[in-house]
Amino acid sequence: MTALALPLPVRSAWRRWRPGAAAWTTLGVFLLFAVLVPRFASSGNLVNVLRVAAILCVAACGQAIVLVLGGIEFSFGSSAALASVVGVLAVPWLGPAGGLAAGGAVVIAIGALNGALIAGFGLPPFVVTLGMLMAAAGAAASLVGGQPIDAPPSAAFAWPAAGSVATIPVPILLGAAAVTVLHALLSRSRLGRLWYLAGANPVAARLSGIAVGRVTFLGYLVAGAFCAVTAVVLTSRVGSGQPNLAPNLPFESIAACAIGGIPLAGGEGRAHQVVCGVLVIAMMNNAVVLLNFPIAAQQLVMAVVIIGAVLLQNAGSLPVMLRRALTRRPNA
Amino acid sequence: MAASLEADRIAKAFGATLALRGASLHLQPGRVHALLGENGAGKSTLVKIIVGALAPDAGALRMAGRPVVFRSVREAMAAGIVPIHQHLSLFPHLSVLENLSAFALGCTRRAAASSALLPRAEAAARLETVGLHLDLDQPVAALSLGQRQLLEIARSVGRECRVLVLDEPTAALNHSEAARLFEVVRRLCAAGTAVLFISHRLDEIDAVADDVTVLRDGRAVIAGTPRSHLSREALVRAMLGTAVAAATRHLPEPGAPVLVAAGLRPGPGDAPADCVVRAGEVVGLAGLVGSGALELAAALAGARPAAGQLHVAGRRLPPGDRQQAVALGVGYVPGDRHAEGLFPVLSALQNASACSTRGLAPAGVLSPAREAARMLPWLRRMKLHPFLPAMKARTFSGGNQQKLLMARNLAIDGLRVLVVLEPTRGVDIAARETIHDAIADIARQGVAVVLATSDLDEAMALAHRVLVVRHGRIAAEILRGAARTNLLDALAGQAAA
Repeated sequence: MTALALPLPVRSAWRRWRPGAAAWTTLGVFLLFAVLVPRFASSGNLVNVLRVAAILCVAACGQAIVLVLGGIEFSFGSSAALASVVGVLAVPWLGPAGGLAAGGAVVIAIGALNGALIAGFGLPPFVVTLGMLMAAAGAAASLVGGQPIDAPPSAAFAWPAAGSVATIPVPILLGAAAVTVLHALLSRSRLGRLWYLAGANPVAARLSGIAVGRVTFLGYLVAGAFCAVTAVVLTSRVGSGQPNLAPNLPFESIAACAIGGIPLAGGEGRAHQVVCGVLVIAMMNNAVVLLNFPIAAQQLVMAVVIIGAVLLQNAGSLPVMLRRALTRRPNA
Repeated sequence: MAASLEADRIAKAFGATLALRGASLHLQPGRVHALLGENGAGKSTLVKIIVGALAPDAGALRMAGRPVVFRSVREAMAAGIVPIHQHLSLFPHLSVLENLSAFALGCTRRAAASSALLPRAEAAARLETVGLHLDLDQPVAALSLGQRQLLEIARSVGRECRVLVLDEPTAALNHSEAARLFEVVRRLCAAGTAVLFISHRLDEIDAVADDVTVLRDGRAVIAGTPRSHLSREALVRAMLGTAVAAATRHLPEPGAPVLVAAGLRPGPGDAPADCVVRAGEVVGLAGLVGSGALELAAALAGARPAAGQLHVAGRRLPPGDRQQAVALGVGYVPGDRHAEGLFPVLSALQNASACSTRGLAPAGVLSPAREAARMLPWLRRMKLHPFLPAMKARTFSGGNQQKLLMARNLAIDGLRVLVVLEPTRGVDIAARETIHDAIADIARQGVAVVLATSDLDEAMALAHRVLVVRHGRIAAEILRGAARTNLLDALAGQAAA
């Protein structure tokens, strides 16, 4: 059937409301947990939520860039794992800070490789980044024979995860910095605008004189740089090289963007949406732990939240959604 | 005789906007009923209600005198209302035969594929009804737009069809294909089908319509009057609400050569084309669908790889290099605005500035204030309506989307050449005037303009000279002021020219 075309006033009202939708959802989830979940609203717990959220947030900022480009990035998880292994192995030569930097460089290099394959050869991002997810996992496991290796204990190695500046934990500072950089890139830089244009319609972008290949490559490279920061913090937190460090990172970062209302079709997405999505995920994870839910239940709750959030954003509101479901046959 | 379909005092509101305020439409069996109106007059809303895609707020639908309610397009189709849309609904990766069988497949409950395909003889017979001769196993993606439109009609008229709804069916057709379509329409009419025909082209209304309804502001200002009782001026006046003067635009004297093509071959089968476009000159490129006129125009803009040489103001432009082309000041308005032009989810303003990001962000830092200051005048000049630059491009009407593409190219720094393909396809009369004004204006400012169009009136009204392309070669040149028939003959290849 033809797409249901809404008239202008309805659409513009809807558009004005939608940026708020992510924020309202986040506030609603917060209030719900504050009332229902014991100890959730304590300041110590909230700082902990923020600390966990911040680590995911940095990677989700990178994911948002890729989604704006109309792509998708699955390789984040195992590239972070490879970074932790490489970082720990490099400590004897480069020192703790140098080791972490080498780990970060690995993630950036994987982003660049993804970008080169996608932009240079026109391969589908889904396949390229999925392949890279497997390749990096394989490399990480074979470097250390499948077993985690401990980093020599040092203050410098632990600082990115456990340190603080002016009493603010470093991960939270990094999360805030990532959001600021993402916002500046997306709304105030030429490169960010070119990402939107290339993501919204790559053919039109090429015909408008835009170097779509270079713009796409830079997108994956910058996304890799965001993920590199997350990888460094995670490595520092576990203090070891883990070949299975963050298997859920790509999926949680995509889920965060989706909950924030960023469509996977490309051309759309803003920094505040990432923040909202990440906070919702972090609060959910925290609440199910406080409530002593089993792991299986945690995953179920997460699934309901992700699909529910996207359903709501697509349908506008529950009544519209139900009416449509009830009055139309699926293939009408 | 009972009407095939009566839509009686239909009202439909979207939020605070009244799209239809009691519009009626009565389709008689065996007659072609034209539905006219500017973009936003309520045409598409009324059509959507008739084909079951929207439910009316008030009013009634009756078929052969009996009230009907359609809850979906499927139900309307089951009742014999067959819609043919402006945007094709074929499956590009499937074969001609599979596409022809698609409705049969949708209606059968059996999963076995063998029963789902039409017999080849029947499929060929259906193609014959629209005068198409195609390999049944060819994928639809390999067909031209014109062939696809005819295939879509062939697919639909094979069904039990009481009301055929043609929404701008000729937008992608050339003259012979359109003539063939009108034949099919008349044949169906003779068999008792009622046809609802929506078009912006008055020529076509003259050619096929028996009755006319004109919508304005959600009401029928002319309701089912026989075409023979109405003059063209009366139709236009009814659509616009005021009389419009047919503008003959002043064009400047051409200056020095700006765009020079030598031996340009857009495709392997094309003859090498040589042409020179001078400053302030508007050169029309006309040709039937598949003639290669649009491809040649795209190659001239650097939008398509081609063999041969291109020079812009004395500097070489490698064919197919749009980055270099924009840097040299070559604008390009593509023919397919949805696939190649529009950024649907981005704002009108962002659509307008797409070619100018370098100038707007000298050090890579984009200033929204500078962007608005530079781009808003262009949107104002193109009379964007509604004037909401922050609104997404996909929410604008087709005419206003086309204005966005024009604004984007007019805003290019140091514009020297503007190549425009089908600038007014599917666009209402007011937007067409605005776009024609903009093209004439930019020529007066010394820009060399290439105008590739299948609209002969447009070519004759705007171009200093029209190059006629036939079978991939420039076959004739018709100067401004020549009789329209000369151009028609040249297009059809009848005159020695």
